[in-house]
Amino acid sequence: MVFRTLEIMNLNEKPAIHAVDLVKLYHPKSKHPVRALDNLNLEIAPGEIFGLLGRNGAGKTTLLRILTTLVRPTSGTAEVCGVDVVKEPYRVRQSICAVLQENAAEIFLSVLDNLSTYGRFHSIPSRKIRERAEMVMAQFGLDEYRNQKVIDLSGGLKRRVQVAKVFMVDKPVVFMDEATTGMDPVNKRATLDAIREHARQGRTILLTTHILQEAEELCDRIAIVDHGRCIATGDLQMIKSMVAKAYDISVTFERMRPEILETARKFPLLKIQSSHNTIELSVKGSDGSTFALLDALSKVEPIVHFEVTSASLEDVFLELLGNREESADNGGAS
Amino acid sequence: MSMILAVMYREFRIRTTSMTWLFYDMFMPLLYLLIFGIGFESAFSAGVETGGGRYGYNAFFLAGVLSMASFGIAINTAYGFFVDRDNGIFFEFLTYPMTRAEFLIGKILFNAMLALVQAAVTVTAGAVILDLPVRWDLSGVLVVGQVLGTAGWFFFLTTFAIRIRRNDMFNTFLNVAYFVLMFASTMFYPLESLPGWLRGIALANPLTWHTDVLRYATIGAGGGERVVFEALAFVVFLSISFALAVQTIRNPLRA
Repeated sequence: MVFRTLEIMNLNEKPAIHAVDLVKLYHPKSKHPVRALDNLNLEIAPGEIFGLLGRNGAGKTTLLRILTTLVRPTSGTAEVCGVDVVKEPYRVRQSICAVLQENAAEIFLSVLDNLSTYGRFHSIPSRKIRERAEMVMAQFGLDEYRNQKVIDLSGGLKRRVQVAKVFMVDKPVVFMDEATTGMDPVNKRATLDAIREHARQGRTILLTTHILQEAEELCDRIAIVDHGRCIATGDLQMIKSMVAKAYDISVTFERMRPEILETARKFPLLKIQSSHNTIELSVKGSDGSTFALLDALSKVEPIVHFEVTSASLEDVFLELLGNREESADNGGAS
Repeated sequence: MSMILAVMYREFRIRTTSMTWLFYDMFMPLLYLLIFGIGFESAFSAGVETGGGRYGYNAFFLAGVLSMASFGIAINTAYGFFVDRDNGIFFEFLTYPMTRAEFLIGKILFNAMLALVQAAVTVTAGAVILDLPVRWDLSGVLVVGQVLGTAGWFFFLTTFAIRIRRNDMFNTFLNVAYFVLMFASTMFYPLESLPGWLRGIALANPLTWHTDVLRYATIGAGGGERVVFEALAFVVFLSISFALAVQTIRNPLRA
């Protein structure tokens, strides 16, 4: 897809999204206000695909609503492309487009009309609207439905129309709240490809998702949000290294000997299991310590096969949030 | 301006997806005039005395029909917020690069144009079919009155439509509000015939101000300082309603 050069090129020196000590209280005057965001801090660089992960009610959608100017924070500041979302919401809206959590489409209009109307709202010149709509319909497999009213489409197709709309325009920052929910694998792939392509062109994409594999595959950096705070932020490797279970290693030997287990136990293992001539280990540590372990084991008995897998994002997610739950249960701060 | 046009275009596309709806909107006021108006004309053959003149009931009721139609369009447009909210598009709209004021103005401008077409159909048919004494020379006043009237009622209802999140509750609110506004006004009967307490309420009712301006614009009834004062009062009502509507829609999730 060919889009004009994005205006964000001159924004390189400042973050695309910057939130400082963001607090959002719902029902602030009631006895028990809901603290949806609790001094949340976040910085996202231009051109990044940034994933926001967290349980339901963690504060992800509230953050997106603040950044898209739908809700005002109770305190703290948030900027999009260097523009304050509270002081200049109109200017912020000129730099963003959003796929919100709710299915959002003009159900009484056709697919083509939905795209055209969206294009008009984002000031695409009339002569370009049709061209872009054709491109986006082809990309998202919407060609055959172009004249059908959205009300007559399945839920997955409606979502596809909604997501396709944001690819009509070339705003520097795109927000996607669980954008691929309800899509079939083929269209999910098309959406992920489109997100990647647009990020390559310099757009910043902030997405929330419950599909951790999707975040793992797509995001340059990730933040895990819990109880309105970012409890972990960084690239995938950094996040993975934050939890105890860093590597799973499976080693198969020609034959099992007691010395193998004795040698393995000299390393900082989290788990060790043996069955027949294979041992399963969980190791916390760097790549170096993993190789040292394998080297030591190979000196005891020849290795037939070994497999090293790093912890999945799901492992990390569950462990981080699980630990916080335990610490909360034990009276620790959450 | 381009954003207002984009909102108007969107309203146009949605309205034109249902010809039945459009037809109903266009001809409903005329049906009121032909059925309700003729019925009352027969019952009150002596006519109605208002603003220093005597008029046939249908001529008197013409302005009532127009203000009712304009209120109806405002209701439909405000009700659109519930439809948009159900379709999820409402909040997406609010992330588009436009101000809240542009959104509201665009929404009502197209619908005010519909109200004008409605008024043209009704007044012309009234003059041709019922031989009503229409003051064509005051058409400009009618155009302004109908546009501002529709906008004023839409802005007034917007605040409630956004704040009341349940459409069943909004329906109840509308039923009560419409009932009070309609019957405590000059829509169906002249101010002069009302008892003192009801006249007091009617005088403070923006629907009376709107209807009186339209009555002057259609048949020339009233006029003078009172209509000018009522027109100004309605503009104040419109301005306050607009400011409140913009304020409410600025933070729609808090409302």
